[in-house]
Amino acid sequence: MKDDTIIEVKNLKTFFYTNQRCNKAINGVSFKIQKGKTLCIVGESGCGKSVTAASIMGLLPRLSRIEEGEINYYSKNHGHLRIDQLEQNGPTMRSIRGGEVAMIFQDPMTALNPVYTVGSQISENLKYHTKLKRDKIKLKTIDLLSNMGIPIPEQRAKEYPHQFSGGMRQRAMIGMAMSCNPQVLIADEPTTALDVTIQAQIFELMDTLKKDHDTAILLITHDMGVVTELADDVAVMYMGNIVESGTIVDVLRSPAHPYTKALLKSIPILGKGKSQELEPIKGSTPDPYDRPKGCQFHPRCEFTTDKCREVPVDEKISDTHSVMCWHYKEVLKNG
Amino acid sequence: MLSYAIRRMLILIPMLIVISFFIYSGLELMPGDAVSYMIDPEAAAELAPEKLDALRDSLGLNDPFILRYFKWFGGVLKGDFGYSLSSGVPIRDIVFDRLPATLELSFIALVLSTMFGSILGFISAIRKGSIADNTLTVVGMLGVSVPQFVFGLVAILIFALKLKWLPVGGRLMPEYITYWDRFPHIIMPALVLAATMTAGVMRYSRSSMLDSMNKEYIKTARSKGLPEWRVNLVHGFRVALTPVIVLVGFRLPTLIGGAVVIEQIFQWPGIGNEFITAVRGQNFPLVMMIALFSVFAVLIASFLVDLFTAILDPRVKLG
Amino acid sequence: MENIKKKNTRLDRSFDKLRAREEAGLIKKSNMNRQLRKMLNNKLAVAGLIIFSIIVLASIFAPLICKYDPLMINLKEVLKAPSVDHILGTDRVGRDIFSRIVFGGRVSILVGLGSALGAALVGVSLGCYAGYKGGFIDGIFLRLSEIFMAFPQIILVLLLVSILGQSLMNLIVIFIITGWGPMYRMARAKMLSLREEEYVQALKSFGLNTFTICYKHILPNALGPIMVNITLSTAMFILQEAALSFLGLGVPLNIATWGNILNAAQELRILQENWWMWLPVGIVISLFVLSVNFIGDGLRDSTDPSQQG
Repeated sequence: MKDDTIIEVKNLKTFFYTNQRCNKAINGVSFKIQKGKTLCIVGESGCGKSVTAASIMGLLPRLSRIEEGEINYYSKNHGHLRIDQLEQNGPTMRSIRGGEVAMIFQDPMTALNPVYTVGSQISENLKYHTKLKRDKIKLKTIDLLSNMGIPIPEQRAKEYPHQFSGGMRQRAMIGMAMSCNPQVLIADEPTTALDVTIQAQIFELMDTLKKDHDTAILLITHDMGVVTELADDVAVMYMGNIVESGTIVDVLRSPAHPYTKALLKSIPILGKGKSQELEPIKGSTPDPYDRPKGCQFHPRCEFTTDKCREVPVDEKISDTHSVMCWHYKEVLKNG
Repeated sequence: MLSYAIRRMLILIPMLIVISFFIYSGLELMPGDAVSYMIDPEAAAELAPEKLDALRDSLGLNDPFILRYFKWFGGVLKGDFGYSLSSGVPIRDIVFDRLPATLELSFIALVLSTMFGSILGFISAIRKGSIADNTLTVVGMLGVSVPQFVFGLVAILIFALKLKWLPVGGRLMPEYITYWDRFPHIIMPALVLAATMTAGVMRYSRSSMLDSMNKEYIKTARSKGLPEWRVNLVHGFRVALTPVIVLVGFRLPTLIGGAVVIEQIFQWPGIGNEFITAVRGQNFPLVMMIALFSVFAVLIASFLVDLFTAILDPRVKLG
Repeated sequence: MENIKKKNTRLDRSFDKLRAREEAGLIKKSNMNRQLRKMLNNKLAVAGLIIFSIIVLASIFAPLICKYDPLMINLKEVLKAPSVDHILGTDRVGRDIFSRIVFGGRVSILVGLGSALGAALVGVSLGCYAGYKGGFIDGIFLRLSEIFMAFPQIILVLLLVSILGQSLMNLIVIFIITGWGPMYRMARAKMLSLREEEYVQALKSFGLNTFTICYKHILPNALGPIMVNITLSTAMFILQEAALSFLGLGVPLNIATWGNILNAAQELRILQENWWMWLPVGIVISLFVLSVNFIGDGLRDSTDPSQQG
C-alpha cells in the first residue's frame, strides 16, 4: 500500500507562556496529512486548531514553544525533516514556508499588506522561492491571478488590496499560496469572513487545485458544514486534544465521541424545516487555566461517569477511525 | 493624485482667509495710530497735521471695517506688509531678510528628527525589551521632559564655552565665503531644535511599529518564508511609517515654535528672533505679520506633508 | 541563523519555571482591580508618582522647609556658591535659590496644572456637546480649533501677551485659550465613537435630554483618555511657562517661578560661572515633567483595553 503521508504529527504538545501562566494549548495531538486529500480539523474557538497550524508552519509567537512530540515532514527538496527540531526562522524552515508548505488566512483584508499592490505581494513569494527572472515572475503572477478566476489580471495585479472585493482577495491569497506549487496547503478558516455564495466558489477552487496538483490540504474550521463539503478525513479537536479522528464517512455516519455527536446535533440541516430539533451543547468551554481533571469534556457530557476523571486513551475502532473516550462503545450504540 | 492635492488646497485657502481676518482684527485693536505703520514713517514725519488727516482719508482709515480689511488683505497679497514701528523699515524687507535663516534651521531640524526618530523607534520596537530598547526609551523620556532651552544652555556651556569646539551663536561673519565656513554655527541650534522632536517621533515610531507588527499581514509575510529583516522593514516599518509622518505634520507648529526660543539662545538671525524683539518692543504690526507668516508656513508645510502621506499610503488618496 | 533549535536559552528556562509552577498549582488569582494592578506593575509610573508627590508636597509645605524668604534681598551675599547656609547658593541680589525654587514651584505647578484643567474643562465640555450634536455647531468649533492649532503655540501666546499684557492670571487664561484645541478634538473623537453605542440609543428612547446623556452617561466612559491628556498637557504647559519666563515674557519677573529663575542664565557669564543659578532649577523642571510623563504613560497603558499583559 502506497503511503501518501506527507506530514505526520505524533503526540505534539505546544504550550503558551503569556501573562506569566503556562497554557497547554495542545496537549498530545497526532494525525497524518496525505497527498491529494483534505484533512479537516474542526472544533470551537480556543480548542487549539490554529495553534496546530502555527506549530507546523513554524509561526509560533515568541512566548510559546513546542514542548514535546514530532512533526515529521517529507519534503521533496530536503527529504525527511523534523520540523519540531528546526529553528523557526532558520534557512530550512523559511525555504519550506511558502515554497513547499503554504498557508492562507481567515480575513484576506487584514492578511494582505495595504500599501503594496496585490501583484507585488504574489511576486514576492516567487522571488524568494524560485530562481525565475523578473519578467518571468511578472508573467507567472498574472497567470496565477487568471487561474484563480480573477478577470483582467494584468490590471488587477497593479491594484491594491482595498480595491478588490472580499472573494477576489481570498482568491488572490490562494493564488499567492499556490504560486510555488506547494505540497501542502494549510487553510485557517478560509471562508469564515466571506458570504455563503462566495464560500462555495472558494471551495470549488480549492477542490480543483487539490485534484490538479495533488496538494495535501489541512483545513481548519469551526463549521461542520464546511467539513461535510470538503473533508476526506476529519479530526475533531477539543481543548487541545483530538477527541476523534477518521474518514469523513466514519465520523459523520458513526460518531464515537460524545462531543462529535453533540456537534452534529447542534447544526441545523438545510431542508429539514423549522421543526427540526437543535440541541445546543450544555455548559461552556472551560477556562484553559482552570481545566477539569481527566477528560476535558466530561463536565458537559451525558455519558460521563467517575472513570472520566482519568484521561482517556486513544482507542482504535477501525483502521481509520479512532477516538479518545472511555464510553465510545455506548456512544456508537446510541448512534 | 492631482485631485487630492487640489482638495487639500481648497481647505487651506479659507483657513488662511479666516486667520488673516483675525490677525487684522488684532491689528485694529492695537493702540496707536494706524498711519504710523501703514506708510513710510519718514515720509509721514514730514507732513503737516492737515495733510496727515487727508492722508488718513485717502488711505481709507475712515472707511468701514470690512472695507479696510479687504484693502489690507489686498496689500498683503501684493507684498505690502506695512512698516515696523520701531525702525520704520518695511516689514516685508525684514521678513524676507530673516526668513531664509529660519527656514534653513527648521528644515534641517525637521529632516534630522524625522529620520533619526523613526529609525530609532524602529530599532527600539524590533528589539523590544532589550537593553537597547530600554536605553532608548529612557533617553526618549528625557528628551521630551527636559525643556528645549535647557538643552540649548547645556550645549552652549559644554561645546562652546568649555570645549570651545563650536561658536556660541550667530550665523554669519564677514569673512565667511563657502557654506562650510558657516557650518559650525548651525550644528548646535539645529541639533538642539531637533532633539525634542526626535524624542517625540522616536516614541511614536516605536508604538506605531509595535502596532504594525501585530497585524495579520506580518503573519502572511512570515508564512511566505521571508527573511526576518524583510518582514520587519518592508512589511512592518513601511506601514508604520505613515502614522509617524502624520504625527510629524501635527508637530510642525511645535517645531516652528521651538525655533523661536532656539533662535534667541543662539542669537540666530531668523524670523523667530525678530518676533521676540518685536514682542518686547510692543511692535504690534511686526508681531502680527510674523504671526501670520508663521501660520502660513505651518499650513504650507502641512500641505506638503499631506501630499507625502498620500504617496506613502495608497488608501489615503482614494479615501 | 542556525537550523537546529537551541535547547536552553534564557527564554526556555523561564518557560520551564512557569510550567513547573503551573503544574504544581502554585499560581494564585489576584482579586485586585486589573487597572490598578497594571498601574502598580508599571514601575516607572510608580516612580513618577513618588517624584511628583515629593515635589508637590515640597512646594505646598514650602514655608516649613525653607530657611529664607524667597523675596528677601541681601546684597551682602550676592552670587554665593552653594554652602551649608544656602544649600543652593544665592542669586544676583542675594536671594536664596533653594527657597526660590521651592516657592517658585508653587506658581509653576499652579500655572501648569491650572491651565491643563482649564483647557480640559473648556475643550471637553465643548467637544462632548459638539461631538454629540454634530451639525453646524460642531462644524464651527472644529474649524475654530483647527485655526488655533495651526498657530505655533508660543507665537499665539506671545501675540496674546502683547495684546493683554503680562500677568500671572493673564498667562493662565492665555494658555487656556491657546490650549483647548487638542482636548476638544480628543473629546469630540471619543464622543463620535461612543455615540453610536447601543446604550446611547436606549437612553435616547427613554427620553433623556441631550445634556444628561452627553455629560452624565457618555462622558464617564471617555475619562481614561481625558485623564491621560490632562497629565500630558500639564507637562506641556509647565515647559511652555518655563520657556516664556526664561525669555522674560511669561510670568512677571517679580514672582518667582522656575522659568523666571532661569532667566538669569541668559547671560553667558552666569551660565559659565554660576552653575547653581540655573542647573538645579533645570533639573527640577525636568524631573517634574519626567514624573508627569511617567504617570501619563502609566495611565495610558492601564486604561487602554487593547494592551495585553
